[in-house]
Amino acid sequence: MMDAIADLATPLVVGILYGGLYVVIALGLSLVFGVMKVINVAHGDLVILGSYLAYAVLTSRGLDPILWLLLGIPLFFIMGILIQRFLLDRAFKISADAALIVAFGLSLIIQNVSQLAWTPQTRSLITPYSFESFQIGDVFVPLAYLLDFVMAVVVVVVVHLFLQRTYLGQAITAASQNRQTAELMGINPARVHQVAFGIAMALAAMAGVFLGLTFPFNPTSGVQYLVIAFGVIILGGLGSMVGTFLGGMIFGLSQALGGYVWGPTGQLLVPFLMVLVVLTIRPQGLFGR
Amino acid sequence: MPDDMLLRVNNIDVFYESLQVLWDVSLEVGSGEIVAIAGANGAGKTTLLKTISGLLHPTKGSIEFEGRDITRLNAYQIVDEGISQVPEGRGLFPDMTVLQNLFIGSYSRKARAERKENLARVYDLFPVLEIREKQLAKTLSGGEQQMVAIGRGLMSNPKMMIIDEMSLGLSPLIVGDLFRVLQEIRERGVTILLVEQNVWQTLHEADRAYVIETGRIVLSGNALELTEEEEIRNAYFGT
Repeated sequence: MMDAIADLATPLVVGILYGGLYVVIALGLSLVFGVMKVINVAHGDLVILGSYLAYAVLTSRGLDPILWLLLGIPLFFIMGILIQRFLLDRAFKISADAALIVAFGLSLIIQNVSQLAWTPQTRSLITPYSFESFQIGDVFVPLAYLLDFVMAVVVVVVVHLFLQRTYLGQAITAASQNRQTAELMGINPARVHQVAFGIAMALAAMAGVFLGLTFPFNPTSGVQYLVIAFGVIILGGLGSMVGTFLGGMIFGLSQALGGYVWGPTGQLLVPFLMVLVVLTIRPQGLFGR
Repeated sequence: MPDDMLLRVNNIDVFYESLQVLWDVSLEVGSGEIVAIAGANGAGKTTLLKTISGLLHPTKGSIEFEGRDITRLNAYQIVDEGISQVPEGRGLFPDMTVLQNLFIGSYSRKARAERKENLARVYDLFPVLEIREKQLAKTLSGGEQQMVAIGRGLMSNPKMMIIDEMSLGLSPLIVGDLFRVLQEIRERGVTILLVEQNVWQTLHEADRAYVIETGRIVLSGNALELTEEEEIRNAYFGT
């Protein structure tokens, strides 16, 4: 009996911890959706691109993936601004559908360029601390999982403070609640789009690195994480920071528990069944408005 | 009519996609005036406002503010010219607090420096907003929400404030209170352009008025005198 409880403790702890990864991926997706009302279908692929770039500098220069973020975050932020300015905003001027199609094209390009550059083979970010783990009671937790969680907490706090306390953050918040009035108040919508997309890309860079430290990835893994991020947003409720955070935790938790009880087939089945249930009884999400 | 015109709309034609909504519309607003644009639903009032605020652009004609041509400016650039907006339906940011809503009104660079003074001015006009400061905008009553919208419009210290359908959905008592505040705002030097379906009360509050029908200005002049016009009485007051 005690053994069974101890066994259950492992998926519980582990699921909550790597749920942090999903929080950060979902946050980037919902930030862009908030201001543009367009689903960035390339978001998962941008995360995996983050994993691959970290992989490239790790294997060629031996640079630690987390240290690489010092460069990767600003790099992705600037890339995000450029992509928004020269690709998505131009499409957005035609229609939201056009922007969606451009994002879809971006997704295909990233997947195929990754295949050319790094082959379709599955990779991982292997570092000296990759196989480290620590013990809480009877539970052994891989260090990478704890890092996912810590990163999620830091990201959520920083993004929250940015949105609440800065001019630009308030402009993004206002534009996602009432686009037209925000413009009448002197908020340049193109600028808000660019900053939001830049931040989403910076978050993708971070998520990519920690994903690579936690799970193996290949050029087409992005789609799976896009769908998971979707699930997290539906669970937590669009536009709610607390909702996204808890949504990610719940998703990770149910994934780990599903895997524990039903094996690999149950892993994604259980969280998406939960998404379905939430959609049915509370379509605005657990913490949505 | 005062000589120093603040806003001049010169013979504009405006289209929505391929549909023409305004025909050869001209109007003027003098500094310190309260001017009303009155007309029934669908007459083109909101289109006219959207054009002045840069959300739409005319295919013919021009718009000048303080003598500067603002015809081609984008909506987000209009605030810096000294024009602020109280949009139809109040346009609050529902999940932001009252204070955050007001602060967004002073988002433009010019307004940021005077944020504190302007906030004090708004609280002076609407003391209840100071009490409600930390509440989410969506939790306020309709009248209080309209106060936030007007207050937010004042946060950029505008020369002219455009108010779209202020009385919509509010009780006559609250509307009366709001009109008294508008008179006070005008006395503090802010010109007001009102757009209203509530023609009777608007004509009693404004100095001058333009009556718009199916996209054309059909009447204009002293607001009180307009209430005596046969056409107006028949169309709007049913007498």
